[in-house]
Amino acid sequence: MNKFVKGLAMATALTASFATLTKAEEPKMGGTLITVLGSNVRNLNSAVQSGIVTGFPGAQLFASPLRYDENWEPQPYLAETWEVSEDGLTVTLNLVKNATFHDGMPLTSEDVAFSVEVIKTNHPFKSMFAPVESVSTPDAHTAILNLSRPHPALMLAMSGQLMSIIPKHIYGDGEIKDVKTHARNNENVVGSGPFKLTEFKNGEHVILERFDDFFIEGRPYLDKIVMRIITDPAARAIAYENGELHMGAFESLPRIINRLKKVDSLTVTSDGYGAIGPVDWLAMNTTKGPLADVRVRKAIAYAVDKNFIHKALMQGTASDSTSGIHPDSPFYAAQEGYEVDLEKSAALLDEAGFPVKDGTRMSLTIDFGWPGVKPQVEYVKAALKKVNIDVQVRASADFPTWAKKMGTMDFDMSWDTVFNWGDPVIGVHRTYDSTNIAKGVWSNTQGYSNARVDELMAMAAVETDPAKRKALYGEFQQIIADELPVYHTNTVPYHTVYNDKVGNPPLGIWGSSTPIDMTYLKE
Amino acid sequence: MSTPPIIPMQETPKARHPMAEAWEMFRGNHAAMVALVVLTLIIITAIIGPYIYPTDPFDMVWAPFSPPGVDGFLLGTDYLGRDLMAALIHGARVSIVIGVAAAFMSVFIGVTVGALAGFYRGWVEELLMRITEFFQVLPTLLFAMVIVALFGASLPMITFAIGVVSWTAVARITRSEFLRIRELEYVTASRASGAKNGKLMFQIILPNALPPIIVQAALMVGSAILFEAGLSFLGLTDPNVVSWGQVIGSNRQYILDASYTVTIPGIAIFVTVLAISLVGDGLNDALNPKLRQR
Repeated sequence: MNKFVKGLAMATALTASFATLTKAEEPKMGGTLITVLGSNVRNLNSAVQSGIVTGFPGAQLFASPLRYDENWEPQPYLAETWEVSEDGLTVTLNLVKNATFHDGMPLTSEDVAFSVEVIKTNHPFKSMFAPVESVSTPDAHTAILNLSRPHPALMLAMSGQLMSIIPKHIYGDGEIKDVKTHARNNENVVGSGPFKLTEFKNGEHVILERFDDFFIEGRPYLDKIVMRIITDPAARAIAYENGELHMGAFESLPRIINRLKKVDSLTVTSDGYGAIGPVDWLAMNTTKGPLADVRVRKAIAYAVDKNFIHKALMQGTASDSTSGIHPDSPFYAAQEGYEVDLEKSAALLDEAGFPVKDGTRMSLTIDFGWPGVKPQVEYVKAALKKVNIDVQVRASADFPTWAKKMGTMDFDMSWDTVFNWGDPVIGVHRTYDSTNIAKGVWSNTQGYSNARVDELMAMAAVETDPAKRKALYGEFQQIIADELPVYHTNTVPYHTVYNDKVGNPPLGIWGSSTPIDMTYLKE
Repeated sequence: MSTPPIIPMQETPKARHPMAEAWEMFRGNHAAMVALVVLTLIIITAIIGPYIYPTDPFDMVWAPFSPPGVDGFLLGTDYLGRDLMAALIHGARVSIVIGVAAAFMSVFIGVTVGALAGFYRGWVEELLMRITEFFQVLPTLLFAMVIVALFGASLPMITFAIGVVSWTAVARITRSEFLRIRELEYVTASRASGAKNGKLMFQIILPNALPPIIVQAALMVGSAILFEAGLSFLGLTDPNVVSWGQVIGSNRQYILDASYTVTIPGIAIFVTVLAISLVGDGLNDALNPKLRQR
């Protein structure tokens, strides 16, 4: 009885911050969580470095104003309460009073203002805080973000790893732009997150320990987190299997995912990546050659069998993606797919003026940036041969070589993976915005330009009514799926793996790029 | 002045052409003979195989991971449902062409460098041998990877890369043979009768230095095939051309589920390289005059 009441109380307490946690299981304090990072960490300071490998330790070391539950609802974190003005032009954050940095200094609105400036200057996602003109600090615990236009994307940009509040008294000792290379980005890192840095040895591990003065009473549950750096997916798989690792995120190889799913002690789930929003697509350069004709792009879509990609290449681990926005996003609107139809494909190619001559209609090239997607590229080559399109696969010596080809639009087709990063304004617009053509890899590398799409994106960026925004993005997705600057095939099958000792793993919307102060070990 | 008596040409019934004698020796080596037969079969496959078995190795012809012998595919299908038999047959051509071409290239560079060094001696030798040593101390696979990564993974570039990193042994052998032969009497005699340097080098010394070079070249074909397999295993290959190493490289992540996709091309490489090696050994026995007395 007592246990039940206690459990009920716990559940009620948690409901505020974790809406659907109904299991009345009491988290245990203490223990060392052994987890893993899939590649070397360039920078632990998530205010200046993007990417999922920085995100995991970054979100433990630094706190952000908000956090999100798995229903995409903002929850208080560093900001106790927040308020968006009627006109959408000011966002007021009321910070918690008891937040301190790991060195004991209090966290104030000055730090928020400083962090926004640092992120605006150094972080690659310029669209996150572009409309933020200034941050006023009427008192130590109130920060007011003044915007030049309404910016609904700001809400998601204030969570996860995207708005890490860094201490001004540490990182403010030089020029703002020099924070990118600050000596304390990788050692003696000071944040206000649930865990503080014990040791960082690149290539080996990041070790974090509990920050006892964390501003949320009673958290974190864990005493210590050891993040081993294991770059080989097969080695990680073995470590999960034999219990050396309690948990890991962002596992993406279908073979390994299916292998780990068979292990009794492991739970393997694709939940929790909605805001990361990783999608795979076949990029097509819309500015040159036959691919400039939308009929050719459609013919290619009709010739490429998504079903084969899902079943044979992804082995059932990925889900369908049809529109550029990740299916888990509230803005996703599923579009009519291109069911494989070789006759229709051939007819479209004939119509576009590419009849079969000496067995082929045209020659195209296809690129890939990393070995993991080579099967997809080989598949496209084989699939397009069926409609008499000759495809030459171009190998790139390394990732930067491929990135340069993409960034300068020196390609016909390429396999590509792009992340939504929360709000479409941050990670989706960049691919279709006609003012962002050929600005490096993961810009609008397809040279796509459509005035209506530009207009829709501009309207959606400032629309504060969620329903109207969703409608705008609905039309946007329809046009994209129809004009096919990229052919959306599937989501990246990112999976979180954890064994039965782990309670409450991070399955929100940010994958592991979120504070795991609520994760615990059962024994 | 009487006319000199005509001495009738002495018939020497036992003096046979040296090649015939070498063949005799070679034939006596059973392992080498078997290897030669195997190698001949492989080469014939490489030449005419693609016409007899015209399935494009890049075509998806069946469901992925169909095991060997099932559904009419003798060697099964890979992760895209491509016919492994086609990959093996079409890949034989690429693997062998690269092997032979790379060996030719390294022999060409090696013989040129070795001949010049051994013939002229002095500063030429010093310079060329230092260059040879420079290439010798570079880790060959790494060096080849750098070349392919820098200049692109096309077949000619891969051949070039393999040739460029493996000529040093030929150069050293050629030089030592030249050093030995240039002091022999028939060379001195030719020089005295006014033979030019070019003629001395390439018409008088080189033919007599050839046997060990031929053996080395034969062995080099094998190592070049292995080299190409290694490079394509690492993904440094022309993705539009199928070779054995490339089949292994692209299927390796499925090794636990469909091991035949990597073992079959692996066995092909193994058998070919072993055959080449045994033939090279046989050639060594047959052509090396010192061993002949045994």
